[in-house]
Amino acid sequence: MTKVYKYTLVDLARNRFVLAFAVLMLVLAEGLFRIEGDAMKAMLSLVQVTLALVPLVTLVFTIVYSYDTQEFTQLLAVQPIRRSAILAGRLAAIATAVLMALAFGLGLPLLVHLPGMVSLLLFAANALLVLVFVALGTLLALTQRDKARGVGIGLVTWFLFVLVYDALLMALMFALSDRPIEPWVVPLAALNPIDLARIAVMLRVDLAAMMGYSGAVYQRFFGSAQGILLALGLMVLWAAWPALVAFRVFRRKDL
Amino acid sequence: MDSVVFEGIGKRYRSLWALRGVDAAFRQGEVVMVIGPNGSGKTTLIKCLLGLVRPSEGTVRVNGQLVGSDPAYRQRIGYMPQISQFPPALTIGQLLEMMRDIRGLDAETVDDTLVGALGLDRQLEKRLSTLSGGTCQKVSAVLAFRSRPSILVMDEPTAGLDPLSARTVLDQAAALRSNGGTVLITSHLLEEVETLADRVAYIEDGRLRFLLPVKEILQRSGATRLAQALPVMLSNSATP
Repeated sequence: MTKVYKYTLVDLARNRFVLAFAVLMLVLAEGLFRIEGDAMKAMLSLVQVTLALVPLVTLVFTIVYSYDTQEFTQLLAVQPIRRSAILAGRLAAIATAVLMALAFGLGLPLLVHLPGMVSLLLFAANALLVLVFVALGTLLALTQRDKARGVGIGLVTWFLFVLVYDALLMALMFALSDRPIEPWVVPLAALNPIDLARIAVMLRVDLAAMMGYSGAVYQRFFGSAQGILLALGLMVLWAAWPALVAFRVFRRKDL
Repeated sequence: MDSVVFEGIGKRYRSLWALRGVDAAFRQGEVVMVIGPNGSGKTTLIKCLLGLVRPSEGTVRVNGQLVGSDPAYRQRIGYMPQISQFPPALTIGQLLEMMRDIRGLDAETVDDTLVGALGLDRQLEKRLSTLSGGTCQKVSAVLAFRSRPSILVMDEPTAGLDPLSARTVLDQAAALRSNGGTVLITSHLLEEVETLADRVAYIEDGRLRFLLPVKEILQRSGATRLAQALPVMLSNSATP
């Protein structure tokens, strides 16, 4: 696994997409901190932008890279190494490359302009989203033979998580506002990794009030340090299940 | 002695059988040409041997070892695919090092004859993204031979190679046979490979129509070249 990881990472270190992502994040974060006089206000804008952008870029990049390296994956699969080692090395390398770009593009400006717990939490939430969407992207690329179809399903998945899911959740809460829906709000939020990341960061910057009734519920459930850890833990589960399914699929897949 | 044995191999993709009931044995010290029309099942057969495709029925044995989840048997197999695609940002040298690393070989034990013979020794620092299709094929050939395999699988090995390089690669395959290796070659360029082949396996519609020595095919058909002999053999409904 370490050999596949090492050389895939060497290849990815010069990948234009990864470099462009790092520069884009740097320009975006630095720009927001410079435009907004108040670092905390810039931080809030960054939360909204990065929690949508990071999953999108990670998902599309993972899917495209997986398809573009199919023949090489085949060549690796005829070497005397286990398929699980190939997939583990590649997953880890893609995640490392995107995380390094994120550290450069988002981590550096956060460290310079707003060092502290909130910045650390925003970075951790985005880092976990990278893991989640690398795993999801790999699974999608393994289960769809056609590249265009794979990318299409990836975009729909992202759209569902970023917009549709929240809209449906809000509509549900509005429609059932006269009933005790409190027990359902947290489990429903846990079904969306981007929501989990948003909740974890927003509660830390004490903006639960902006999230209305659900905010109050989240505050009660996730408001403590343990609650935030629980949210991040749920995100780890979100990264684990697609990765585990991807390993199972790859072991049996005809290449 | 048989080094590769297919027993009742079948592969089904949904309702389509790409291979059905293939029984064949390939010996040490021989070159077998696997031929057949496009989509006949040649590549699927080869992929079953390489462990890239899981047969729906039957078994494959390599040097007596059942092809399954244990990848160790691939230590003795070299593979030159039809399409070569490598990590674009790596150099040729880095790729060779990577594959040597993955196979767990020492620098002294690898066979770098082809690196010089194909003129790649002057291009080791070149990025793989800058290489022509033909040069990528040369790299692929080097990788296939480098670990001194006892079984070599080549899918359309001469496609994209200049005539001189193609001859060099085929000569290397002949040398491997002389050392007791088994070579399986799929190719549509019969003239180019027929001088090298000892036997021909003809696959059609997923079934092995025949597996015969080249001499016998020519004798039975009364032809002097394989390209002329095959249509005669097929019209005579030759059987293994």
